[in-house]
Amino acid sequence: MPGRGEAGKDPDAVIELKNISYRYPGTDFYALKNVSLRVRRGEVLLITGPTGAGKTTLCYILNGLVPHFFGGTFEGEARVLGYNVPETPVGFLATRVGMVFSDPLSQLVSATVEDEVAFGLENLGLPEEDISKRVKRALEYVGLYNLRSRPPYTLSGGEQQAVALASILAMEPEIYVLDEPTANLDPLGTLRILDLLKKLSREKGKTIVVVEHKLEEMAEIADRMIVMNEGRVIAEGSPREILTRRAEHLHSLGLEAAHIPLLVQRLAGKGIIKSPGSIPLTLSEGVRFFDELLSSGELSIGGRAWEPNGGSEAGGEPIIVVEDLVHVYPGGTMALKGVSMKVYRGDFLAIIGQNGSGKTTLVKHFNGLLKPTRGRVRVFGMDVEETPTSELVKRVGYIFQDPDRQLFTRRVRDELAFGPKNIGVPPGEIEERIRDVSRKLRIEHLLDREPYSLGKGEKQRIAIASILVMNPEVIILDEPTTGQDPRNRREIMDTMKMLHREGKTIVFITHDMNLVAEYASRCIVMSDGRILLQGTPREVFSEVEVLRTTRLKPPTITSLFMELSKRHPIKEVILTLDEAVSLFEGGGR
Amino acid sequence: MGYEYFPGTSILHRLDPRTKFLIFIMIVVLTVSIADPLGILGLLILTAILYRVAGIPGSKLRKMIISLLPVFALFIFLNWFVVPPKGAHLLFTIGSLPITIETTMVGVTGGLRFLLFICVARLLTMTTSIAELLVALVKLRVPKEAATALGIGFSSVAILIDKINTVREAQVSRGAKVDVRNPFKKLFALIPIIVPAIYLTILRGMDVAKALEARAFTYNPAGRTMRKHIRLTRLDYLVLAIWIAFTAAIAFLRFRCGWFDYMFTIGRFL
Repeated sequence: MPGRGEAGKDPDAVIELKNISYRYPGTDFYALKNVSLRVRRGEVLLITGPTGAGKTTLCYILNGLVPHFFGGTFEGEARVLGYNVPETPVGFLATRVGMVFSDPLSQLVSATVEDEVAFGLENLGLPEEDISKRVKRALEYVGLYNLRSRPPYTLSGGEQQAVALASILAMEPEIYVLDEPTANLDPLGTLRILDLLKKLSREKGKTIVVVEHKLEEMAEIADRMIVMNEGRVIAEGSPREILTRRAEHLHSLGLEAAHIPLLVQRLAGKGIIKSPGSIPLTLSEGVRFFDELLSSGELSIGGRAWEPNGGSEAGGEPIIVVEDLVHVYPGGTMALKGVSMKVYRGDFLAIIGQNGSGKTTLVKHFNGLLKPTRGRVRVFGMDVEETPTSELVKRVGYIFQDPDRQLFTRRVRDELAFGPKNIGVPPGEIEERIRDVSRKLRIEHLLDREPYSLGKGEKQRIAIASILVMNPEVIILDEPTTGQDPRNRREIMDTMKMLHREGKTIVFITHDMNLVAEYASRCIVMSDGRILLQGTPREVFSEVEVLRTTRLKPPTITSLFMELSKRHPIKEVILTLDEAVSLFEGGGR
Repeated sequence: MGYEYFPGTSILHRLDPRTKFLIFIMIVVLTVSIADPLGILGLLILTAILYRVAGIPGSKLRKMIISLLPVFALFIFLNWFVVPPKGAHLLFTIGSLPITIETTMVGVTGGLRFLLFICVARLLTMTTSIAELLVALVKLRVPKEAATALGIGFSSVAILIDKINTVREAQVSRGAKVDVRNPFKKLFALIPIIVPAIYLTILRGMDVAKALEARAFTYNPAGRTMRKHIRLTRLDYLVLAIWIAFTAAIAFLRFRCGWFDYMFTIGRFL
């Protein structure tokens, strides 16, 4: 076993990185550039930053996956628990540093939950009785002991991630590293994991390093926070300090800055309020802050927050009509229990709800991927039961979440030509369409590249383009933003907004309430195979009690003004930051 | 999906996986040495009874056999092109191709053997959990790493099937026609599914490799704990004894008395 080298000056430091630069093999740029970091025993460190910032690479150093597993060029000095990382095998470091990856299923390797948690303990060579005890304790800790004999892939995403966490917990490491543990989860799964993180962080002596984009939620868990961008650490401090003082900066990096400090900074920037001594961060702080300002008359409510016609019901004729739809999967699961709804021409419709509520099952009927078990679905007057999918896909485009599950050609150009060729578009026109669409999505420079060699955001744009070239009237997006960073999410949605302006009808499934508030003209909330609510986002988000039954929360800004409206004359439901700012500006937009 | 295990407490479940391996191998040897379709049919019926004993619903076996019927037909069809032995009995002719009882019977026998292999192998996996299977492999001197890898492979199948289904749906959404009948066209039609499937499989491999490292799989492979234990019990010895006696009896009848030659069956009709 490698011996511990000379520890640094700080005896409490469990992680010491000095001037680390790292390049993955086969790349010509540094994923990390001169990064130094020190983490003390028992500290909870939050790392955030846009895609490509080097967050994951940094995590990989902590258990030695970088450089041992990936290879590449490693410069600088890395010590974890006193061990020199480049000289210590991963297998050894992994007994002291536990890691949870962001995609839950990618890290689960066993046939049952129980075996999964036992796997690491078997690797440690522990006696059987110890293994049984530790498995039980870890599964009870995460609340999944009753599911111990289920195969992991049959669990929900949140449960799977909890299993991943339990299998690390059971190994009792000194350092926990979690790389975007909630990125692929629905709101319920996210809550589960954040609650577990809270519980874990309260226990003394556990050093936790978490990469996350959900900054508002993480602020109360983390002791310290670093912000990374393009391979460098660009900010470091307490989460409160960074989230309040540097809200605009985070926002400009394309990160999901906490909205309440952002609002305060914007109002101060416009001279509407004085720069406050301490900026509120949480919802309750925000309510107190604005309540005082409004009560003392320092701040007053002006005119309308939004244009009267903005975000109203779509006026077009119904193009997709769903009547009493029931869908039962071959295994016997009843995913839809009688759903009736319409999609109107010109809709920008959001479908929200927890995983398993039937969102995807519903929209898969729109282009015939699924056929009704009972009930009827008509698309542009065609009954989906009788119309072949090859006809429906000409008018309804379906964009899937993971571009890796559809790209297959050597060149982006061929990828784009595939769909139109299938539906019989003449070759000359295909060329034309490819030119149009690639200009619109700014992928002209990628047309002769190999799809697999592109980055995540670029691949997603190719996947979107490959549907757009088929020129469908309706575009369905099934969680296109899950697993993407906030900036990519906005880029995708901005593209959709542009297409919507050109007359396309958009239907999107999402877990991001801010996107619903900002982009959707209508919103459907699903729960347990039924439609729970439908209406404009304003109508839907004001039904706080109904939303709570399915554990969905309105955007923070909306909640803030709903609280304030109890004591102050605010009639409107506020959805976005811009609306909130213009509410106080008094002039309307 | 993938590896299908039916939990239960039947005799078959309680047997040591090694016993089941051994019986499986003996059945293979038996089937190869028996040329009489009726004999193999007999073994097939015996297998069906064992499914019953294991508590596996009859519909499972029926579906399995129905899905294998095209292969069965293929066996018969291909054997028609084999030159018939001298003095073979003509059944009918297709054009100038003589179809004889003998070549047909060889085809039927081959098809039945194939059915039997699959049914017995599936019975083995349906009554043996992956964990038991892996321990058995380790006891049979397969390295622990290899056994674990096999286990991970089995548990990845369901995940990959799910991913490949999405690939199919994504391509169908782009107008791909994947349900063509012509086998050659089908091959081309499947490229848009096969390519991402291979890519996803490689990605899964990378992910699993990372996850294994992160869970200290390389810490001390030889010293890994094996939690599952398997033991040969009196039941195993008893079943093995009966089975060996049965096999010996069949072998005796086959080689000493000339039974189960396929002429044995046909002889009754000629």
